[in-house]
Amino acid sequence: MKSWKGAALLAAALAMPAMAADQGVTDTEILLGEVEPLTGPPGLLGIAHNLGVRLAIAEVNAEGGVGGRTLKLVAEDDGYVTSRTIQSLRKLIGVDKVFALTAVSGSGQAVASIPVLKQSGIPTMIPIGPLPPLYEPPMENVFVVGQSYTEGMRQLALFLADKHPGAKWGVITQDDDYGAALREGIEQAKGEAEIEVAFETRYARGQKDFSSEMLRVKDAGVEVLVAGGIISENIAMVKEAEKLGITPAIATFWPGRVPEVLKAIGPASDGIYAVDYVAPLQSDAGQAFLELARKHLSEDEVARVNRYTMTGYTSTRLLIAAMQSCAEDLTWACTNKALAEGPAIETGVMAPAAFAGGRFTNSPVTIMQADYETLSYAPVD
Amino acid sequence: MNYLIELLVSGLAVGAVYGLIAMSFAIIFKATGLLNFAQGEMGMITAYVAFSIASATDGNPWLTAAGAIVFSVLFALAVERIVIRPMVDEPILARIMTTIGLAVIFRSGTMLVWDALPHDMGLAAGSALVDLGGVRVRGAQIGVVVTLAVAVAAMLAFFRYSRFGIAMRAVASDDATARLMGVKTARVQQAAWGAAAVMSGIAGALFAIAWELSPSLYALGLKSFPATILGGLDSVVGSAFGGVVIGIVENLVGGYLSPGLKEVAGFVIIIAILMVRPYGLFGEKRIERL
Amino acid sequence: MRSGFYKQTLAEHLALTDSWTQRAWIVLALAGLATAPFVLDTYLLTLVTLMMITAVGGIGLNILTGWTGLISLGQTGFMVLGAYGYAIPVESWGWDPLAGFLLAGLVPAAASVLVGIPSLRLTGLYLAITTLASAFIVVHLVLEFPGLTNGASGIFVNRPTVLGWTVFTDQDLFALVAIFLVLTILGALNLRRSRIGRAWFAIRDKDDAARVMGVDLRTYKLYAFVASSFVVGISGALYGIFLSFVTVDGFPFLLSIEALAMLIVGGMGSIAGAVLGAVFLVGLPEVVSMVFSAFGDSARALLSTGAHEVKGVLYGLVIIGFLRLQPEGLMGLWRDAQRVWTLWPLRY
Repeated sequence: MKSWKGAALLAAALAMPAMAADQGVTDTEILLGEVEPLTGPPGLLGIAHNLGVRLAIAEVNAEGGVGGRTLKLVAEDDGYVTSRTIQSLRKLIGVDKVFALTAVSGSGQAVASIPVLKQSGIPTMIPIGPLPPLYEPPMENVFVVGQSYTEGMRQLALFLADKHPGAKWGVITQDDDYGAALREGIEQAKGEAEIEVAFETRYARGQKDFSSEMLRVKDAGVEVLVAGGIISENIAMVKEAEKLGITPAIATFWPGRVPEVLKAIGPASDGIYAVDYVAPLQSDAGQAFLELARKHLSEDEVARVNRYTMTGYTSTRLLIAAMQSCAEDLTWACTNKALAEGPAIETGVMAPAAFAGGRFTNSPVTIMQADYETLSYAPVD
Repeated sequence: MNYLIELLVSGLAVGAVYGLIAMSFAIIFKATGLLNFAQGEMGMITAYVAFSIASATDGNPWLTAAGAIVFSVLFALAVERIVIRPMVDEPILARIMTTIGLAVIFRSGTMLVWDALPHDMGLAAGSALVDLGGVRVRGAQIGVVVTLAVAVAAMLAFFRYSRFGIAMRAVASDDATARLMGVKTARVQQAAWGAAAVMSGIAGALFAIAWELSPSLYALGLKSFPATILGGLDSVVGSAFGGVVIGIVENLVGGYLSPGLKEVAGFVIIIAILMVRPYGLFGEKRIERL
Repeated sequence: MRSGFYKQTLAEHLALTDSWTQRAWIVLALAGLATAPFVLDTYLLTLVTLMMITAVGGIGLNILTGWTGLISLGQTGFMVLGAYGYAIPVESWGWDPLAGFLLAGLVPAAASVLVGIPSLRLTGLYLAITTLASAFIVVHLVLEFPGLTNGASGIFVNRPTVLGWTVFTDQDLFALVAIFLVLTILGALNLRRSRIGRAWFAIRDKDDAARVMGVDLRTYKLYAFVASSFVVGISGALYGIFLSFVTVDGFPFLLSIEALAMLIVGGMGSIAGAVLGAVFLVGLPEVVSMVFSAFGDSARALLSTGAHEVKGVLYGLVIIGFLRLQPEGLMGLWRDAQRVWTLWPLRY
């Protein structure tokens, strides 16, 4: 930590022409920072995301960096605890003096960090937890990559309503912002299609035992179940359903769209629906992405690549592209402007991503189904 | 009607898990006067060890069971000897905080040694579905109920008829006097920890099979707490009963009232019991009040 | 250095301080607090602010556990009540922040009466269990009434304007928290040397004897609960302001355990101990991080370190270490050092 501070000070003192640049930029290096859960259960997504960022950075460094400067990354672990997220942000911005942020942990943490981000003005990418408060109203320096849960839910609901007309629905959602977003999506879908919700309930985060909920699902004759859990909760719900012998069509969302979930559920996970805005690993685009990963990451790390790697990669590429167009005048003002108005970036794993003047990529989603045999997902037609 | 039966069966299964862990709390309290806040974590570690053994032996249930039980006993004895026994004369707060410190270490240690992802235990017999007259349960859930019944029977017999059991009751009652009477209190405490470890280890492992194995398994300890209070901190059999009651009540509340209340039901029961009968339904009446 | 305890009059016994050395230390500490905002960088400043907020909470818990001997695991619940007790009136209803702080103390105090009354006749373990249960129930209640508390989404808290002074920068916040800390310490010291404080010590040391001496256990235990949760509530409100955000996620159950650990490490029953414990507790993760990064950048970049888990293990080891080897905590170490100094070269 001290060495960064010293180097930055020294470089700032020496590099007079570069004085137009903001913090984190020296003659030879640009420092990026991020906060995410690197350990503990949420580490599954934090580590994968971090790999995506490092992949993008390695790719660009191999091509000469940004304006001849190499990119470096400092990652802080917040263990998904909000107070630590904010402390880590303060450290990254004030002590490490990074030039830009490539992630601010999950959605709840990012929302709580809004005052700090707004006050500092540092260019910030948010690829892990896109929630509306982060881009509505839009902030000068905060850029959200992805799609809202509400929109994803709406599209998946419309698809399932079309596929199972007249079915009874069950909706189990979490008792927080994520759950509220899903519920909002169902409401929107109800306005466009016939959806009869026979059973609806909420659960508190961390609940492990869903036996009574699933019993009520069975009792209500539910044929389409919206499983609004993340990882553990969905595993528990589907296994309970298997135990009770019911087989509704199950709808899940991207936070839990990782192969580990399928593995933990077992054969009952075959045919689960999911909606996401990045390509599944088994697809051509996904395989190409894995090839790229193998070039720059170790074997252990490639094994941990999942959808969060793709979102991290895409958002960092967006940031890098903006920085590259500002290579002469590497300031926050220029970068924020370039991010907002820059052209779409094609990464293969996501639809071409751009902010088009706003602060949200509004990426289109695909609906997929899980295949237990290969522990993967494939798009439905 | 079927709905009610299913709820009751579910409640019984999870209640058996609570009951076993509650019995662990009770037996340690009975023998040493200490509440082992790390019990849930110790059960979790046993479950993870069972997972490792199962992975290594390709799902052999006998080896896994034997290995897990042996490990849990050795682990508990080690903990008792190294950390708990030296603190036997310290005030109660220090001893409780020691177990809490252990709990923190075990929690983080589990994630260090294994990983933080949820896993399937890999024991086909446990996950297999069994049809009991219209209600389907997993093999492991039957296993847990059977284990509870066996444990209760064993404890009843032990405390009433065996010399060692009577010795344990003596130590719980007044350990200085017991020592004067020739009881080896150290042995008694070791036995208590060992028995507790086996019960909570089996409970943790079976829960992991029937539900899932993840680093948040330790929360079972906290949830089994109300069961011990309900039954009586020093009543081992009472705790088992308390566990089943809490499991069933939780499921009934979740099934008929609101799912949100389900999680808190246990804690509300604690407060209610402590106000009315602090020594629990089956505990010994002590003059704890002033 | 003191070699003994020589008080001859009641006035001397009750005085806040009697030695010039102690007064010098106090002046130094105050001077340090006053100059810190100008000398420390933002990161260290916010770290010290966090230490001070934790210290306020620790002093509160000390009143209950250190002075009256009532083990409480309900710290989290009272902090949550204090944080929401400030956030809801000030942010949702537009009240003045001073009134918000008052409510941040009164709401948990009222709740503690509710928790205290059934627990009054219970000792040690049973009280710990009741307070544990109450912490969970409080959190559940907060989530159960989203109309009032905004449920799991939480409430944004702006930095307050107190008596015309707008607390905006980190330096301002540091000053505000420092003022609260000083007021809390003064209040606690006053309670300690008053009749109520002595009654609490009597209850802790030998409650039946206290009863014989005319101390009504129920009333004084309730006083302890109320005073403790009032202070803890205020620390909760300060924490909410510090995070600019009040949610139940910001107050995990771990806080209760950390609070007790803080008192044990610092020294149970001593205000200075509570402050030292807070400094230690907040500082330990930072020190561990620094040690880790000193081992090279590879420790950082390599994701397989599990640094957070190692911190957890170290944390537990530190608690157990202190409990085994120095149950009187850092203040105990200080007293031992004092004794060795005064008695040297003699052993006793």
